[in-house]
Amino acid sequence: MITGDSQQQVIPPTRSHVKAGFVVYSPDSGKRNIIILEEGELAAVDRSNGIRSTVFKMQPGDLIGVAALLEHESFKYPIEATRDSTISIVTEECMESELKTLPVWMLAVIKNLSSKTRKLKEALFKTRCENTLKSLAEYCSHLEAKKDYPLDEFIQEFHWLTKISKATIQEDIKTLVRRKFLIQKGEKSSSIRIASPILLQIFVDYQIATEKGETWAPFMLTLDQKRVLVKLSSIDQSQKMDAPAWIAFFTEQKININVAEWIRLQKFGWFQPDSGNTFSPCTDNIKYYLAALHFETNIRGVL
Amino acid sequence: MQIAVGEYLCLEGDKANSLYIVKSGMLVGFSKATEGAPLQNFGPGSIIGEFSLLESAAHELTLRAAEDTVIEVIEQGKLQSTLDKHPNWLRSILTFLTSRCHIAEENKKKSDMIQALPSLLYILSSHIQETGSDSMPLELLQKKVIALNNSPAEETDRLLASLQNLGLLKVSGEQDKVVRAESLQTIPLLYETLRYRALNQKVSPNILSMTEQMVLSTFVKIARDSNVPQHNGLCTITTEQLKAEAKKSMHGLTLTSRTIAPLVEKNLLEPSNAFDIHAPLEQVSFFFADFEKILDLLELNRIFPLLDKNLV
Repeated sequence: MITGDSQQQVIPPTRSHVKAGFVVYSPDSGKRNIIILEEGELAAVDRSNGIRSTVFKMQPGDLIGVAALLEHESFKYPIEATRDSTISIVTEECMESELKTLPVWMLAVIKNLSSKTRKLKEALFKTRCENTLKSLAEYCSHLEAKKDYPLDEFIQEFHWLTKISKATIQEDIKTLVRRKFLIQKGEKSSSIRIASPILLQIFVDYQIATEKGETWAPFMLTLDQKRVLVKLSSIDQSQKMDAPAWIAFFTEQKININVAEWIRLQKFGWFQPDSGNTFSPCTDNIKYYLAALHFETNIRGVL
Repeated sequence: MQIAVGEYLCLEGDKANSLYIVKSGMLVGFSKATEGAPLQNFGPGSIIGEFSLLESAAHELTLRAAEDTVIEVIEQGKLQSTLDKHPNWLRSILTFLTSRCHIAEENKKKSDMIQALPSLLYILSSHIQETGSDSMPLELLQKKVIALNNSPAEETDRLLASLQNLGLLKVSGEQDKVVRAESLQTIPLLYETLRYRALNQKVSPNILSMTEQMVLSTFVKIARDSNVPQHNGLCTITTEQLKAEAKKSMHGLTLTSRTIAPLVEKNLLEPSNAFDIHAPLEQVSFFFADFEKILDLLELNRIFPLLDKNLV
């Protein structure tokens, strides 16, 4: 146990003289030692493919095996003396006895450096996506509707893009199928079809808003705002009017819209301003809000 | 050292040379790079600033006390005096661990950049194909890349700068920046080429050999010089013209049926009559090809070998 007690007995490193050609470390040995070169020259050699090549040379003061000793990460090349050399070997026992004499903060620094490195290395193989469902929906929203995509290839491509594990991808596909955003087809569900790319894009936007803790605009419309939306979807989309005329139009339809409400409607992007202070309905945004309301249960996942 | 709740211990980027150990209370850390991400908490036992202590690195985070906090400060002098009491190899181990951590950080950054490229190209090529437009608002692109792969906006900006250096696209505008592709085909082609390599573990047929590129470049040169009008985007070059120009521009390479065969197989050059790899090239009177497709392929082959070097 590491205590930081400076009264512990320290085991010194073993000092050895080795002849040129002597193998001071072999990966097969399973030994976890730090080798410090005091004098001479050592080299890491690669004998794979039957050819001996020097990976790197070590000069006096250099050391090797720290990762092997502290993190059980063995060094993969044998180390040979290229000249008569003097080495010091820090064994596990020697290291442990030395560490016991260190102050706790120094041990913590060593531990933190090792742990940071290990986490960074592990992160190389992990996905950065936290919301894997959102990620899959974004990917699918750019695929064509009514086209069958072979499932294997679909999963492979998405895995390549995001590093999300194939098991997670399969789970997320099931979730999107349950929500009716994707359709599995063929024998043993061997292909995937996108129900509607726009719905998937709406789902991504909803997920983004939810992650930020925001209430998503399409799901907080008042009854009058919903009536405006429905009315707008049923009229001639090329119709242009100024703001007072639009307010009067909705009043005629018995929809209570005042100036403040008109300003709020602008924020939804249902009207696009034209030249000369007139506005016309913005078809894409109207369709977007209508689809969001129509598929609210699918989007919220409360089927 | 005591820090009252709400007080700042240090600011990101400030010069530093000490280690902080939280004895009691709680510090929260944040940085510009991780804006919007959850705050990092440092409770009792946490240590902050190993690199400041070991190599006087600037503070990586702004630290604020979330409650009344007591910290112990270890200065570089204390580090030196501790190391002086121990064998030299301990110092070497610390140096080794520090540099190894920096290498791991660099590798992670490079890996993130390489990993983010396909996502960026996927979003850009999808946008080009969906809208038929060569431009996309930068903000929308960043939003979609984050949704797809969680690559931060700064990483997307760095990737775009690399792709701009390669002449693949341009980022323009002051406030509402726009990403404009130099060609409608090259970005989708590049994505498809990377995708093919990843899914099939082999080089895409879009990647041409040097000889194939030289033949196609010769074809393009003749087509441009001759001003022969194209029909439905197809241009026609006689075998005689091709051989004559090849002699001049292909550095002594003799054009034969065998040289042309891979391009015929890939349907990049269409022979006027039946093509036989063993017959003399002159048996084919002329070749025709989709001019724009060849230009895009040549552009792809110019960019592809430069990608990795430009990214990292």
